[in-house]
Amino acid sequence: MEEFWQQVVTGIATGSVYGLLALAVVLIYRSTGVLNFAQGEMAMLTTFVAWSVLQWGEYWVMFPLVLIIAAGMGAFIERVIIRPVEGASVLNIVIVTLGLFAILNNVATWRWGGIPKGFPAPPEVEVTGIRFMGEGALDIGPTVVSYHDLTILIFAVGIMLALYLFFQFTPLGLAMRATAQNPVASRLMGIRVGRMLTMGWALSAAVGAVAGLLIAPLILLQPPMMIGVLLFAFAAAVLGGLDSPVGAVVGGLIIGITENLVGTYTPAEWLGPDMKLTVTLLIIVVVLLIRPTGIFGRRTMRRV
Amino acid sequence: MRRLIPPSPSKLVVFAILAFFLLWWVPFSHVLPEGFPLRFGTYRTFQGSMIAMWAIVALGLNILTGYNGQISLGHSAFVAVGGYTAAILMVDYGWPFWATIILGGIIAGTLGFLIGIPALRLTGPYLAIATLGLALATPQILKKYDGLTHGTQGINVRPDVPASPQFIEDWFGIKVSNDEWIYFLALFIAFLMLILAVNIVRSRVGRAFVAIRDSEIAAQAMGISVPRYKTIAFAISAFYGGVAGGTYAQVVGYVSPESFNFLLSINFLTTIVIGGLASILGSVLGATGLIVVPELPGLIDFIPGASLPSELSWAFYGAALILVMIFAPYGLAGLFDRLVRLRPAMILKKLSSAYERSSGALRSVRASPGQAEPPPEDRAPEDEPDAEKR
Repeated sequence: MEEFWQQVVTGIATGSVYGLLALAVVLIYRSTGVLNFAQGEMAMLTTFVAWSVLQWGEYWVMFPLVLIIAAGMGAFIERVIIRPVEGASVLNIVIVTLGLFAILNNVATWRWGGIPKGFPAPPEVEVTGIRFMGEGALDIGPTVVSYHDLTILIFAVGIMLALYLFFQFTPLGLAMRATAQNPVASRLMGIRVGRMLTMGWALSAAVGAVAGLLIAPLILLQPPMMIGVLLFAFAAAVLGGLDSPVGAVVGGLIIGITENLVGTYTPAEWLGPDMKLTVTLLIIVVVLLIRPTGIFGRRTMRRV
Repeated sequence: MRRLIPPSPSKLVVFAILAFFLLWWVPFSHVLPEGFPLRFGTYRTFQGSMIAMWAIVALGLNILTGYNGQISLGHSAFVAVGGYTAAILMVDYGWPFWATIILGGIIAGTLGFLIGIPALRLTGPYLAIATLGLALATPQILKKYDGLTHGTQGINVRPDVPASPQFIEDWFGIKVSNDEWIYFLALFIAFLMLILAVNIVRSRVGRAFVAIRDSEIAAQAMGISVPRYKTIAFAISAFYGGVAGGTYAQVVGYVSPESFNFLLSINFLTTIVIGGLASILGSVLGATGLIVVPELPGLIDFIPGASLPSELSWAFYGAALILVMIFAPYGLAGLFDRLVRLRPAMILKKLSSAYERSSGALRSVRASPGQAEPPPEDRAPEDEPDAEKR
């Protein structure tokens, strides 16, 4: 039983990272209907920037700085690269994000080299005597949880909550939701639609950057590190329903846990750890067949 | 009825040049003296074979995505099925290569049909990610069940690949090397598949595909069985993938699980969007572009004083993708269309009519000074690509 809980807890931690990146994917999908294949590479690049900043600065100085840089990069990409193809078909924009993928990946390899680098986890913080983050592990009865896994979970839940409040109660968040739902009507209501799209990319890049900063300590910092994570994030976003931020995080958690359990509890002869990816993907496809727009996705009405 | 008129002389010249280029220049120009401009070596011949193989997949994927509107990121799986069918049957069972290519196509087509059934429930990004799952699972499955597939070490097909037959040398007096022979084989298969694709697209089935893409409900109202044609599209497309896989095994001479990873699928999709969706010509242009464009940074070295760091070649490729999408939203085929319409005669005609109009306006101004008439509003019709393409 202890092993079971151990697997679940590890699954929750990696699943939270998938969920965070899926959240970033969903933020862009909701406003433009495009799967951003460069999402992982944007996160990877900002993590490299963070690594460079850490060479002379503290972790908690670097953190907000990197979020601002990431948001700026997201906004820049939307303005300069995505805006010219805004009216084109979805597949065209997808290819543009693939081009972006190639550029960002190549630039990171060129600037920082392909050798994997260690990346620190967030350092220890004490709030009113309770310890958060840092090294070591915490005993929670049935099993132990490493502090870094806890950190990831806290960040994922915190960011989701913050985004929920932002989209539900702030004028900017409401304007962004309105733009996603109906750009023409929003423009008529005086919302600056173009600016909202830029904001969406900036926000999404910042959320993705957090995912990169949190996963880097677990898998070494290197240019291809986010490719696998991005594929799971896509799967998570699709599983949860591409237009639902809650669905993204829930989908990420489901995938993280399933992946670990399949690796441990299926017969190793013909399935087992080698096939955990395949089985997880199969489960996702089965779920999609039952609910074609994901668990939390809205069904679209069709008109002739 | 369309072909009753013989093609115009200029078209014949273009075809002759193209045939000469494909049938002589690509395989044989290495016999020219060293330093001859555009002299192709054996590596270029190999690239020619790869373009042929790549074009076969692109044709198939374009039928599914361009004409039928279903996005697939799983085509590397079908290519893997074709490649492994050919490799296993040729190496382990001693089958002739042509039979394995056909059988590989049929097996992949059956698999595509079976996958097309659940795919009926999914659309857009959901279908894309579900099929991406197929592409991701393929290398793992190939590695895991190694009794049939030889596992991670892959299969070396090279000793069993058909060698250049003796009769060509006897009859024509030309020595054809094995690589050149494979090139002709790949070119021939690609040509057959091209003719087949043109005929499918122009047939009743092809028109049903397009009708479903443009509006499923309207197509249904016209009496088209949407599920039937959508699964047929998947099967045809997968058949093309399988044939391309069999060709791949001959051209490369080696298959392994990592030859068919998901990046291949993404590259296939890139090929057809860059080439032009719902366009036969676009599939071929896209395949050519995908093999040729990564070579282009090398050309910059020919310009004196200019250079591009070779580590940035992939970034160059990415930038090329973005630029094509910004400046040619209908892909290379759309660009080609626009270029063809810019015939010199056309430009002259436009210029002269513009001159007539301006001089006419001048005359009317001179005739009645003080109350100038507005210039006539008959602008030349716009040269936009067909709205039928998406």
